[in-house]
Amino acid sequence: MEQIVEVVPAAGLHARPASKLVKTANRFDADLSIGRPDDGDDGLVRADSMLAVTGLNVAHGESVRVVAEGPEATAALDAIEALLTNPVENGDGEAGNGEDGNTEAGNGEDGK
Amino acid sequence: MTGSRTLTGIGSTPRTGVGTARWYRSAADLALPERPDPATVDPETERDRFASAREAAREGIRRARDRAAERVGEEEAAVFDAHEAFLDDPGLVDDVEGDIDDGTPAEHAVDDRFADAIERFEGMDGRMAERADDLRDVRDRLLRALLDAPAAADLSALPAGTVLLADRLTPSDTAELDPSAVAGIATVAGGRTSHAAIIARSLSIPAVVGVGEPLREVPDGAEVLVDGEAGEVVVDPDEDRRSAALAGEEASVVPEPVSTADGRPIEVAANVGSAAELPPAIDRGADGVGLFRTEFLFLDRESPPDETEQYEAVVAALEAFPKDRIVVRTLDVGGDKRVPYLDLPEEPNPFLGRRGIRLSLEEHADLFETQLRALLRAAARGGGGDGDRDRGGDGDAGDLAVMFPMVSRVEEVDAALDRVESVAADLADEGAAYAVPELGAMIETPAASYMADALAGRLDFLSVGTNDLAGYVMAADRENDGVADYHDPLHPAVLRAIDRTTRGAEETDAWVGMCGEMAGDPALTELLVGLGLDELSMSAVTVPAVKTRVREVDAAAARDLAEAALACETRAEVRDVLSLDG
Repeated sequence: MEQIVEVVPAAGLHARPASKLVKTANRFDADLSIGRPDDGDDGLVRADSMLAVTGLNVAHGESVRVVAEGPEATAALDAIEALLTNPVENGDGEAGNGEDGNTEAGNGEDGK
Repeated sequence: MTGSRTLTGIGSTPRTGVGTARWYRSAADLALPERPDPATVDPETERDRFASAREAAREGIRRARDRAAERVGEEEAAVFDAHEAFLDDPGLVDDVEGDIDDGTPAEHAVDDRFADAIERFEGMDGRMAERADDLRDVRDRLLRALLDAPAAADLSALPAGTVLLADRLTPSDTAELDPSAVAGIATVAGGRTSHAAIIARSLSIPAVVGVGEPLREVPDGAEVLVDGEAGEVVVDPDEDRRSAALAGEEASVVPEPVSTADGRPIEVAANVGSAAELPPAIDRGADGVGLFRTEFLFLDRESPPDETEQYEAVVAALEAFPKDRIVVRTLDVGGDKRVPYLDLPEEPNPFLGRRGIRLSLEEHADLFETQLRALLRAAARGGGGDGDRDRGGDGDAGDLAVMFPMVSRVEEVDAALDRVESVAADLADEGAAYAVPELGAMIETPAASYMADALAGRLDFLSVGTNDLAGYVMAADRENDGVADYHDPLHPAVLRAIDRTTRGAEETDAWVGMCGEMAGDPALTELLVGLGLDELSMSAVTVPAVKTRVREVDAAAARDLAEAALACETRAEVRDVLSLDG
């Protein structure tokens, strides 16, 4: 089974959202793969690999295709959808001055 | 003196420091032993070595994570979760083990396979290049464990006055830096958003990044000046440059409170998001803290901090500024700020949903009560909440003020004040020492700005959060590049919302502060003074520039400037009035 999901976290599939996706993929008894919808089956990579997932370089607002097989495929897909459609915990709305590390840190790591 | 050489890079923290150069060499320089004949390699042994190296690396990553969370903040700490995920990458682990089975010793297998992955990422754009830094960091941990090499250099124990030179600094490296010992940082590689640059800024360490190959020629022990404003690294600076830079640094820090040229006091405070940001705030001469975020106490853990932990964190801040005021914001989660154990509702539109005080009064009433108990007890350590600044300072700790985030209704403030009262009554019953601090509301919503008079009548102060206020007034998400142009506090609509706030408070005794990004821009200081702000709170690094600017401003002229800006109909006109480019 599979699903197309829009990646909502502003960081895209990087840093924290990516490591969470990998962790989630490892938690279920299912083989999960992920790729861009237009790239077909050849573009799918294993979702339990941080290298593969970040290597996709998926940005905020792009859609991804998630394919799951195995006994817990449904639960795994649900969990991944919840994760990808949830804006990730973030820095702060009042992150100080623009010159400030907080803001930049957000840009780099956390999708500020 | 002759022989002074100037190298240029990208200035990342606008400060200048002078010190003694010390190269930091990472484990990338570790020499691997020669490759043995594959026939002599015992795959079993090598697999075991690889497994123990991974466990050692994992422990190191977790320690670094904790340290970063404590010293820098949760956002920087999160990068170590990615490191752990790379360490466990099944493809990478399989490849390394495959090589081992083919007769390659563990260290060579790790080195080879990571090199491939790093090369792949390096070829990609900026953010992906940062992942290459992450991979290097993980590889270095594995190699150090395999080669039994000590950690490359103890960055937490550098001699005072060190100018740290490095090819690049990894997140692990930067999390370890002792900011009081580091006079400056210069790197060969990296841009303004590299980890080194980000952390240097949050700790107010002068830094120039991306200097390139010429930096390598700077020897250990050389005297080096790092000018983060000009983006220059000066080797063997002549006496003029040196003293000019240091005089500029010293002159730029204004430790005492400042007033405008015609005598109106303006408090210039720092925004603080973790305990590690308190010392730089003191160094930069901040008059206390205008926004002490409490979220760092709640993030990345399994359960909320207890009363004692919160009390201690607030008391530490009060003690850091014995003569000033610390404005603590109660827990501000929801919207884009998620905390897993708080079980926040899924919302289609979280910025317009349950966040800030809305959660504290209902879903998180228990957390709110615990936080208020900690805060009222901490307030007893300072001057207490008589509404007056206790600048003379008779005690060992500053004055506490507490503000509620995301207020949009007067009823919320009434309810919050009720909670404060009942917590105070409980503490009195228990015989605990407590005081009711100054209480205030953040003005982040148009609703709060419209109702500022009613809010100010109930409270001791208001604090304008310009980032959210601009977002809500202009109906523009600041994360959305498509509407970046809308999200600007210089739109006349936002200025009028600020003006409505200060005018609303005018008839009351409440003071009005500002703690958004706008407050830290010296080009806007005159406008903000003219708009009637009593306090400006910002990233510590901009405190000196704003204090200097306040002293030049004439409050009466500033009022005229503000009137002119408020009369504008477009942002372009506002910028024109303020003589800003573009």
